[in-house]
Formats: sequence, structure tokens, C-alpha cells
Amino acid sequence: MKKKWLMAVISLLLVVALTACSGSGSSGSKKVTINIFQYKVEFKKQFSQLAKEYEKTHPNVTVTITTVGGGSDYGAALKSKFASGNEPTIYNIGGPSDVKDWKGKLADLSGTKTAKLALPGTLNGVTEGSKVYGLPYNEEGYGILYNKKIFAKAGIDPASITSLAALESVSKKLNDKKAALGLKAVYALPAKETWVTGLHSSNVFLSPEFNQDVTKAFKSKTVSFKYGKQFKQYLDIQQKYSVQPTASLDYSAQVEQYFSNGKVAMIQQGDWVSPTIIGINKKFENSGIGLLPIPVDGFKTDSIPVGVPMYWAVNSNKSAQEIKAAKDFLNWMYTSNTGKKMVLEDFQFIPAYKGYDTSKIKDSLARQIYDYAQKKKTIGWVFMGYPTGWGMNTLGVDIQKYTSGKMSWDALVKDSQNAWKTSRNQ
Amino acid sequence: MKNNNTWFWLFLAPVMLALFFVVILPLIFGIYYSFTDWNGIIATRFVGIKNYINVFQSTTFLNALWFTTKFAVVAIIMENVIGLALAMLVTQKFKGRHLLRTVFFMPNLIGGLILGFIWQFIFIKAFAAVGNVIGVSALESWLATPGTGFWGMIILMSWQYAGYIMVIYIAYLENVDHELIEAAEIDGASAWQRFLHITIPMIAPAFTINVFLTLSNSFKLYDQNLSLTAGGPYDSTQMLAMDIYNTAFSQNNMALGQSKAVVFFLIVAIISLTQVYYSKKREVEV
Repeated sequence: MKKKWLMAVISLLLVVALTACSGSGSSGSKKVTINIFQYKVEFKKQFSQLAKEYEKTHPNVTVTITTVGGGSDYGAALKSKFASGNEPTIYNIGGPSDVKDWKGKLADLSGTKTAKLALPGTLNGVTEGSKVYGLPYNEEGYGILYNKKIFAKAGIDPASITSLAALESVSKKLNDKKAALGLKAVYALPAKETWVTGLHSSNVFLSPEFNQDVTKAFKSKTVSFKYGKQFKQYLDIQQKYSVQPTASLDYSAQVEQYFSNGKVAMIQQGDWVSPTIIGINKKFENSGIGLLPIPVDGFKTDSIPVGVPMYWAVNSNKSAQEIKAAKDFLNWMYTSNTGKKMVLEDFQFIPAYKGYDTSKIKDSLARQIYDYAQKKKTIGWVFMGYPTGWGMNTLGVDIQKYTSGKMSWDALVKDSQNAWKTSRNQ
Repeated sequence: MKNNNTWFWLFLAPVMLALFFVVILPLIFGIYYSFTDWNGIIATRFVGIKNYINVFQSTTFLNALWFTTKFAVVAIIMENVIGLALAMLVTQKFKGRHLLRTVFFMPNLIGGLILGFIWQFIFIKAFAAVGNVIGVSALESWLATPGTGFWGMIILMSWQYAGYIMVIYIAYLENVDHELIEAAEIDGASAWQRFLHITIPMIAPAFTINVFLTLSNSFKLYDQNLSLTAGGPYDSTQMLAMDIYNTAFSQNNMALGQSKAVVFFLIVAIISLTQVYYSKKREVEV
């Protein structure tokens, strides 16, 4: 009998022990802990170095960092983080739709030094009235990356590409000399990666109809595809001269296998490919890659899309002390001398703030993008204002059907317009 | 007697509690959320069966359901036929059968995600290269069309799962009474007749288990689907689990995703229980 009792008690104890593990005490002293939940995997190491640096000079503050990568995975993880009750102090939001979803959990950052130094236009997606709910990480840009050596060999002047027709004739010329240039094809169009086609490519051609304003896109009930004809032409050129089949061509094949190894002459990508290409061919990254604008006939033919990929947000549910500590940390990162130096040199960010010594930008693609931005030759990012999932799961998927010949362009436009309307009227 | 009952519940309590907190409670919450406008952060109002109406009007869901059904039927047949064939092979008396058992079982030890990426490489790069050399164009552009995507999934799953199924068949095959087979042989039954009328009925419980395993496994498949095709091209190889994940997390439509998950749960439960019920009835007792 005694044994039975013992067994029962032990088994109950085990259950209790299991549940008790999750409990933890909180300290009531002046010490503050800032919990950061962020998405950028690429700079995880450098970012924790910056946090350590901050802890050294601010002994009362402890900074803990959790990183969960990838676009949709981050959103899901953030939600479960909040649902678990273990809310972070600083987290990331992407644009207007996130501002709407997280409203009530976003502190106003308009008074911070960092917000005042943000470059014009970079706060568009996270501003409501006089309130600012996010601070930009950095700026990123993309366009058509080309292999300088191949262009020179083929005798092509990149400056001559000022229209889609010119792009087409250059592509044809390269295609004719394919064998001599050692190319497999002119382009590598990764239709499998719906973010490349459905978000980035489409952005260039949809931006003008929303005045390049992400908030306007977010509020729009409809999408007209005003520059749809140009969009179609741009996709057709890439599809025609791309490595086939495009429907199963992915990012790593595009960037690593084909572009870095000189098997294709052009790809549509941005400055985020630098670390990958450096890993394969450092010299090529340093001096071999040029950046071309994506020409939109009738709008801008000399500009590249530049925008803010993600914003820092501060959780307004936290205590005043913790919110202040979080703001101080962000201010320090982007405005103190130590912080600025690390942002520029260790993170290799294209700064979204005034007061940076931009001659220190090392990365060649980042430099070229920064030059375009300096000359104000940019197209605004609006894809953060698309209905959630529309760009990748509707337009991107329809583009796969179109390039596989299973859908006409008119059907694509109609389907995308309907999906936009439906999700905006819900 | 009363005392006994107390003991019964006391011992059961830890398991029941665990089951309640990690299975029953989330299920109830899930069903509750599917009737609201939950966005993953807050649920503000009750919307009745609106989500369920949307589920059955969603073409992606219906396409995924159809694809999953097609896939499940073919996968169950392939996995069981190959699994049984392998089991028959390695229960013969020859040298190296133990080694072969290990070899056949091995794919099952590799995680689904990694397998997906390995096979993606084989289908896209290796198939194309071989096709190029021997001049068979059918081997090129695999995974770029819905048909090759489907068969790619079938090949991957059969390759991974047949070894596992084989192990269960082996266990039952080795228990088949040799006297029965010998007696039949003396009576003049051919090898095929012995297999059909003695071996098959004797290993019927293995069919019940294996069909159940392969069935629920095919329906719930996610990781191999994600890494091999990611639903592409143009969502034609998207299975139910992936559609639910995408609805909830990339389109941010948590409540709709939750409703799809409830429908999915009902489908899997009904099919599996029906199957187990009918297969059980056909088993023979010795």
C-alpha cells in the first residue's frame, strides 16, 4: 500500500515540477532589461557585439537579443511571443499593415533624436498623424545587377539602357553571343521565389500609380496596373532570355550558381546579395558588378527602388522606465559616435539617417545604391502596402502561371485586381 | 472496490492532466477561435460560421484538398507495395539480408526537410544532367510542372517511408507459421496461391497498421512538401497542411486558417477511423 502512495505522489510531483520550471522571479531594483526580438539573421553577431558595447557604458541596462529570421516566420514567432505573455521590449514591424495589427502595443517614437534624424520619406510607412511608431533599420535597394566584364567583352555600354526596348536589344545581342561569352543564358529569372517577382519586380511598376507612397497603396481599395504593359514587357524579356525552367529556379541558383560564376549576364537583385557573392568570388563582388535601373517607360527610366526593409518598434505595454531605456538604446545605436561607426562598418548598413560619413561604406553595391539615393534617382517602395500575402501568394503565383504559359497576361491582371479588392473589402 | 477506483484515477491523473493541457484545451481554443475574427493577436468579435463558408469557397483550399487526396491514394499504394516487396525480399534466406534491412530502413533516419533538399538537387540538377547526356528530354525541367512535382513527391515519400513500412511487415512475416505454408505446399499450392491465401490473411494486422500510418502521414505531410517544391509551380503541389500554414501565417488570416485546420482535423479523423474500423473487421484470428 505504502508503495502505491509513494508512486502516486511521485508522479504528481513530476507534473508539478514540469510546470514549475516556467516560472521565474522578477527583480525590483533599478536595473532594466531590454528584450529585443528581431528578424535580421545576417547581422546577429555584430548586433550582439553592439549590445555588449552598450552594456559596458550603461551598467544598469541588460540587453538580451532573440533572433528569428525570415519574413513570414518572424511574424508568426512574434505573435506567439506576445501570446506567451513574455512580451519583448523592442520588436520589428514592416509597414502600415503591421502598424494596424500591433496598434495598442506601439510606443510613439516621434520625440526621439533618431526619428528627427531619419532621412526624408523613410518614416512614411510608420507615421500616423504626428505619431511615429517605427525607426528604420537601414536602407536597401535593388535593380538589375550586371556582370561588367561580360558587358565589356560584348561591347555593350550599360549607359545606353534607358528604355525597355534598349534592354531588349541588349539582351538579344548578348543572347546571340552566348557561346563566345561562356553564358548559359542572359538572365536567371527566379520565378520560384515569389518575393522577387511578386514584390520586387511588381513594386517598380505599381509604385507610380500610388505616387510612390506606401501609405497610399495601403489605403487603396483597388489596383489599376496602370503600367501593366511595361511590367509585362519587362517580365517577357527576362523569361525569354532566362535559364529554363524558371518555375523551379530559386534564389541560390540565381545568385550563386549562375550569376557569381559568370553563367548569366544579368539578374534582378539588391545589395543583400553581397555577403553571398563575397563568399564565392570576392574580387567579382568588389569590382565586377554594376547596377542598372529597371526602366519604366513613361515614368522613370534612370532610377532604382530604394526603401526601408524593416523598422524598430518599442512595446508600449512596458513600464515607463523600460520604454525610456529602449528609446535610449535605439538613440545610442544610431546617433552616438560608437553606434554610428558600428552601424556603418560592422553592420554594413546603408544608413537611413543624417550625419553619417558615407565615404566609409565599403560594399560596392551599397555604394552604388547610396549614389543613386544621393542623386534622388529613386523609386519608392510600396510593396509593404500591398494587402497581406497579395504580392507573393497572388501576384507571384500568377506570374509563375504566366511564365509557364498557363495564364494569359489579361487573366493575371484581372485575378490580381480581384484579389486586391476582395482583401481590402473584408 | 471503491478504494480501487481512487487508485485508478490517481495513477491516471498525471497523464490525463497532461493530455488535457496540451491536447484538449488547445483544441477547444482552436475551435473557439475559428468562429471569431482572431488575427493572432486579439479576437474582437464573433463571426459565426462565416469562416467556414470561406473555407469551402477558397479555391486554394479545395485544390490542396484534391491534390492531397490524389497524393494520399498513390502514396499509400506505392509505399505499401514497395514496403511489402522489400520485406519479402529480406525475409528470404540469403547472406546480407540483415545488411539490406538496415540499408532500406536508413532513408527514414534522415529528416524530412533535408531529404526534400537532397531530392530537389537530384530532380533538378542530376535528372537534367542525365537527361542531357542520354538525350531524354522527359528528364529535364523536373519540379517545374505540376505533373513532375506530383511524382517527385511520390518518389521522395516512397523512398523515405517504404523502409519503415518494411520493418512492420517483416515482424508479421516472420511470425507466419511455417507449418501452414509447408502443408499448403504438400497439398500442391503454387507459390502465388500460398502467398495470396496464407501469407496475406496472416499478415492482415500489418496492413491495418501500415495503411493507417501511411494514410495519416500522407495527409499531414508538410516538411517534405515545403523543402521539395514549396507548393510550386504556381501552388499546384500545395498540400493541406501547407495551405493552412500559409493562410494563417503569410496571409495573416489566423481565424480562416484555424477554420481550415478544424476541417482538416475532421477529415483526417473520419478517414483514419473508418479505415481502421474496416481493416480490423477483416483480420483473421489464428
